[in-house]
Amino acid sequence: MKLRVAGIGVLAVLAWLLPYQLDSYLIHVANVVILFAILAIGLGLVMGIAGQINLAQVALFGVASYATAILTTRAGFGFWTAAALAMLIVAAIGLLIGTPALRMQSHYLGIVTLGLALALTNWVTNAHIAGGAEGITGIPAPTLPGIDLRNDYFFYYLELVVFALALAFGLFVVRTPLGRKMRAMRDDSLAAGAVGVEVPQLRMTAFFLASLYGGVAGVLYAGLIRYVAPETFSIANMFLLLAMVIIGGRQSLVGCVVGAVALSLLREVLVDYPTYAQVAYGTIVVLTVVFAPTGLAGLPVRARGLLQRLGWLRRDTGAPPKLGDFRPYDAVERPAEQVILRIDDVSMHFRGLKALQEVTMEISTGEIRGIVGPNGSGKTTLFNVVSGLYRPTSGRVWLGEQDMTAARPHTLARAGIARTFQNLRLFPLLTVRENLLVALDQTSVLGSWRYALWQPGVWRQDRALRRQADELLDRFGLTAFADAAPGELPYGTQRRVEIARAMARSPRLLLLDEPAAGLNGEEVRQLSEIVRSIRAAGVTVVLIEHNMGLVMSLCERVTVFASGRVIADGTPAEVARAPQVVEAYLGDSAMSSDVPVATATEAA
Amino acid sequence: MQVFLQTFIGGMSLGAIYALVALGFSLVFRTMGLVNFSHGNVVMIGAYLASTFYLSTKLPFALAMALAIGGTGLIGVIIERVLRPLENKDFDLMLIGTIGFGIVLEAVAIIIWGATGNAVPNPVPTGPLEVLGLRIRTYDLVVLAIAAAAAVLLVFFLQSTKRGAAMQAVAMDHEAATAVGIHVGRSNAIAFMLGAGLAALAGGLVGPLLYVNPTMGGALGIKGFAAAILGGFGSIPGAIVGGFAIGVLDAFTAGHFQGYSELVTFLVFTVIIMIRPTGIFGERTVNRA
Amino acid sequence: MFSSLRRHAAVMLLGLALPVALAACSAPGGDQGDTNKTDGPIKIALVDAQSGQLSSLGAWELKGARLAIDEWNAAGGINGRQIELGVFDDQGDPTVGTNLARKIASEGYIAMIGTAESAVTIAMAPILRESKIPNITSGQSPGLVAVKSPFLFLNGPTSVTYDETLAKYIVDGKGLKNIAMITNNGGYGKGEHDAFTKSLQARGVKPIEDQVVTADQKDFSAALTTIRQKNPQVIFIGAEEVQSGLIVKQARDLGITVPFAGAAPQGTPVFADTAGTANVEGTIVSSPYLSNEVSEASKKFAAAYKAKFNEDAEMHGAKAYDGTQILLNALKTSNVATGQALADAIRATKYAGLLGDFAFDDTGVGIFATRIGTIQAGKLVAAG
Repeated sequence: MKLRVAGIGVLAVLAWLLPYQLDSYLIHVANVVILFAILAIGLGLVMGIAGQINLAQVALFGVASYATAILTTRAGFGFWTAAALAMLIVAAIGLLIGTPALRMQSHYLGIVTLGLALALTNWVTNAHIAGGAEGITGIPAPTLPGIDLRNDYFFYYLELVVFALALAFGLFVVRTPLGRKMRAMRDDSLAAGAVGVEVPQLRMTAFFLASLYGGVAGVLYAGLIRYVAPETFSIANMFLLLAMVIIGGRQSLVGCVVGAVALSLLREVLVDYPTYAQVAYGTIVVLTVVFAPTGLAGLPVRARGLLQRLGWLRRDTGAPPKLGDFRPYDAVERPAEQVILRIDDVSMHFRGLKALQEVTMEISTGEIRGIVGPNGSGKTTLFNVVSGLYRPTSGRVWLGEQDMTAARPHTLARAGIARTFQNLRLFPLLTVRENLLVALDQTSVLGSWRYALWQPGVWRQDRALRRQADELLDRFGLTAFADAAPGELPYGTQRRVEIARAMARSPRLLLLDEPAAGLNGEEVRQLSEIVRSIRAAGVTVVLIEHNMGLVMSLCERVTVFASGRVIADGTPAEVARAPQVVEAYLGDSAMSSDVPVATATEAA
Repeated sequence: MQVFLQTFIGGMSLGAIYALVALGFSLVFRTMGLVNFSHGNVVMIGAYLASTFYLSTKLPFALAMALAIGGTGLIGVIIERVLRPLENKDFDLMLIGTIGFGIVLEAVAIIIWGATGNAVPNPVPTGPLEVLGLRIRTYDLVVLAIAAAAAVLLVFFLQSTKRGAAMQAVAMDHEAATAVGIHVGRSNAIAFMLGAGLAALAGGLVGPLLYVNPTMGGALGIKGFAAAILGGFGSIPGAIVGGFAIGVLDAFTAGHFQGYSELVTFLVFTVIIMIRPTGIFGERTVNRA
Repeated sequence: MFSSLRRHAAVMLLGLALPVALAACSAPGGDQGDTNKTDGPIKIALVDAQSGQLSSLGAWELKGARLAIDEWNAAGGINGRQIELGVFDDQGDPTVGTNLARKIASEGYIAMIGTAESAVTIAMAPILRESKIPNITSGQSPGLVAVKSPFLFLNGPTSVTYDETLAKYIVDGKGLKNIAMITNNGGYGKGEHDAFTKSLQARGVKPIEDQVVTADQKDFSAALTTIRQKNPQVIFIGAEEVQSGLIVKQARDLGITVPFAGAAPQGTPVFADTAGTANVEGTIVSSPYLSNEVSEASKKFAAAYKAKFNEDAEMHGAKAYDGTQILLNALKTSNVATGQALADAIRATKYAGLLGDFAFDDTGVGIFATRIGTIQAGKLVAAG
């Protein structure tokens, strides 16, 4: 910590003294580099942190500089008034460009944002008000009392201050609830929705943030160059910016800045050999992507790994951390029995595949319900319908008295449904603690205004969340793994982290999809203890399970699925004897390992 | 009405080119899960090879094209080796990695052929056909015929040959294909070679229509990619329909909005994709939880 | 942790305050490169696209300027000082241009030749004006005059002159009134569009079709189809060499047979090569430099050019040669003045050049006439 603060201090002093070493051209270069760095932070936020492809970042930058230019030269506004209006405009356009993200992702989003960027370029090239191909000259220099900002040296200090604030704000966002939710969404948007992250709003927020950074850089650009032309928008610059972010390391804002500085300087050195510069820059990009996908920012970690492998650096040889005991919840009085989840004639079809057919079932409060059936019988599809990942082809889903058929996953999560996933969907790039923090955070994305107006409030909220997370980690015996990446943990521990994450939202209804898969005997025993305690705490539990021993011992009622239909429903003993169940298992998948009788004796 | 039809016909030949480019995008994507943004630059390389053979060595156009397709196909195999580590990587990396590679291709073209480019004379020097008051450029008909033949051959290859069937299998399920003994690596190489060959065909045909220069790949690549997305990414009929759709859309916006054509084209494209993100022939991807 | 952070912050602030105090005493960058040196080579910058699509223009410009400077250096330079030409590549990008303007200012160049792209020159003009560096450009957009910089000079006529001459020939001379226009929305095309429309307007003629294409467009079927429907007698093109050539080529493919008319780009070999020699027959060109055979001076220039670069001279090289000659003459008469004095000397220079007799007015334009030529049997010849 001390080292880091000292490092920042040294860097700040160096940055402050830099102009004394530069001639009037190089200071101009430095000014342009800082603008790219601000842009790169914005792109890092939207792409690296929130996982949204935005190939319009340079276009947003262009919008802001054009808006400033038009408002100052055509409408006669002062520079700072124009700048403020430009920020509003760019934020609006940023939200507009982000809208497609609600419907599509990855390469689809890439081509759409790129297309919109081209459309904007096309507009300024033609529009009379934007000066056409000749652009707009004569933008007035910004003024500050007592400082002549026409001087590139003084402009440098203005940019430096803005840059420092922009970076600090970006890092603040990344390390607090908003950024954490974004990273969770990037890692796994389905799981993020399932723990209550409002994915659509968050995507728009990401584009909004990116447009702010684009806007700040654009306004400063207008003030620095005092000239704008359509080339400002160019796709080549967009790809350059993209390369900066990838080379620097998109998941680290500091990395993005380093990438921006490094590539800008490389370009400056090779300015007289543009073709060879192109070869060099393309080659570096390809090599980075292939050999160092985490970019410059990821190099220290990779270097440490390499040194350890070569035996030059000692590994931590302390005893491996151990999974602690689960500390049961305080039991509450069993609530009066009423229906908490009603599935009413639900069918789900995928292009001719009838995954669910007219399924009707009811689950009461305080129940532990088992759902069994051969593979492909529609169990997980049912969970996906209930948790809002699929909208059923027909039928309704009721949570208590509320019709939740068309609700989105985050709404359902907020209404009290939590789930785990068959194949484990922890956020791989977040630590165990952060995985829980994302789920613990109950605030809405719209509450993010505090980031602009009241940062201490955000800070305080974050600390409160961390206390809750520590409590939860302790309850599930995970304290020793708090700072580990989920992927490094044993499988059984990951399963427990996922249950802890689901419980972080204090749900009313918990859906567990094959929670015992891959667990050893002892872990299965612990699991059953955990599930009982969760139920004792007043949470209704539904679990899909192939481990019949667990189902028989844990569940009061069992529903059996086959080919998308409910074929039996009753106490474990009843369904195990039902002829249609025996037939479904033996007939459909005689080779399957989950024949009830066999596994029942094995795991008992 | 006459202007309408004339504009429509005008859009068809470039539409055929976009369709060929889109086919390359989709073929490579469905087989190896690679979105190759350097595809446009491969088109440019193909265009240069074809025009160089045609102009400098005075070969007949058809022969020059065949050589260019073969040459670019071979280059495609090399490119596939270089880009192999990017297959099935996350999209950001694939995007910038292939763009980076495209930038290198462009610079190499500048070093070899210079920055200014050259025009390619029309290989069928006959005047336009006059049909019902419409003028149809003879070369447009050549382009359409060749593109149609290429599409038919491609579909035939994929559906009726053993190797093509193997590629289809790889496209559907990598692991299962490996399990039944299909050489995935070879299948990928062939897909890339075919993609590059289609790119060269598009480039060679577009030369006499437009102009050959190192930056031509950008516009063709973006429009071709948009066509593939519009048709349904990874779908063969989708690529063809998408290509013609973009070509005709382009022709109409150019006719009606002149300088603003690009703005309108991309706005229309965005709206269509917003309404139907999976494109015309796209399959709804199922979220697997 | 929090209190320790605060302490560190205080230390950091102190660290920041120190250089602020320093900065208050002396602003950084106070000592600028001194341009008033009286020994060593005279540094002149040439800024043009040396890479990218427009690099052929840049290459021609460089050759013209190089030829003039080598001639002067061979004759002993100016006041015994050699002339040094620094070449900068603007890549045809105005923003790169603004960077280069600052760069040549910081490196002590006293004057600038170029660029051939009006948009780039316009972008650079305010910075050059601030740094008091006279600039002789090869651009011809009326936008250059609108900048109103006393440091900006043109080495040829503006589009207004080109197109006025052209309109006079077509409308007044030939009596053609059904005129269609196709121009691009780039810097050059827009200037041409506005200038030609104005000249037609003055004659009470309205173009029967006015198509605008984008500067990087390569397919013109839509625009040309619309034009063909209107059956014009002549089609005016306002676009750079390559694009003009493509327009003509595609027009002929669509069966349009009427002649095209335009300014300087249509007189270049690049235009003819792109369109195909047969297709450009009959094109009407307004140019201040129709061919290398127009005068004794041009023949001499063409011979020297051929000897030095082993290729035929053309208009852009001639313009750059004229511009450079004017600059060097002004440097000589002013005893290698810089800044305002050099600008004044350029304005006062009367020079009989390849393009005609230069005499600059307040707007920085020194020549106001072009000649009409037509392409006959693949060669541009003066029209009678």
